[in-house]
Amino acid sequence: MSDWKENLHKTRYVMDVLLLFSFMLISAPQSTGIAAHEWLSLFFVVPLVIHLLLHWDWIKKSFLRLFTRIQGKERFSIIWNYLLYLLMLTVFVSGFLVSVALLPALNIDLNIQGFWSKIHHDSATLIMPMLGVHLALYWSWIVKLSKQMLKKKVQV
Amino acid sequence: MKYLKNSWQSRTFTVLLVSIVVSVLLVTLEQTQWAEQINQQGYSHSGGGDGQRNISTILMYVLPFVKEFILIGIPLGLALLVMKLITGLKFLVSRNKKG
Repeated sequence: MSDWKENLHKTRYVMDVLLLFSFMLISAPQSTGIAAHEWLSLFFVVPLVIHLLLHWDWIKKSFLRLFTRIQGKERFSIIWNYLLYLLMLTVFVSGFLVSVALLPALNIDLNIQGFWSKIHHDSATLIMPMLGVHLALYWSWIVKLSKQMLKKKVQV
Repeated sequence: MKYLKNSWQSRTFTVLLVSIVVSVLLVTLEQTQWAEQINQQGYSHSGGGDGQRNISTILMYVLPFVKEFILIGIPLGLALLVMKLITGLKFLVSRNKKG
């Protein structure tokens, strides 16, 4: 487990697990309370950006790959990931626009619109099944890396 | 974290810049008729309403996570099933072609 920083796949795995846990935490405002939900969402930007940085090569190549002869699964995966990113931004933007704790604490007053409340609620619900499909698309990688990480742990 | 440190400043700047531009475009949605219509009708969702009064405190904390597991887990399982079916069908088609 200690060598995970030296291996790109293991670094991705550890960071993705952190990303998933933080996502699940911020997606339960009924459990954490609205104030914690909003502040934690602000800090969620960090693991999300780390996730994108660790997949930089994919980001650079993926768009152009759409215009080449690739397998249907890969094409679907690229489009799905773009949609997931767009939906994540929608959840973020709408979330900030309906903020009742974070922005008032920063002395920013907003007139909360029903439109943004609806968008935030609907997009935050929709992002979960989309994430489920995203995880399914990389399931073999997740299983392979989980086995590798657990094997290391047992040896130590 | 050597993989993360590689050109992280320019890459983070690019990610943030693209995200901010897309976010600004998303904000313009509030100028649409669709947004106006929803604002006029008013919106409130039922989360955290009267239904939660009758459930225990522990359940109130646990249920949102259960909801997440279901909303993520079921599509995950279904997607895996669909992918297996597609792989199986492809295998059958290729075997029939050869045969």
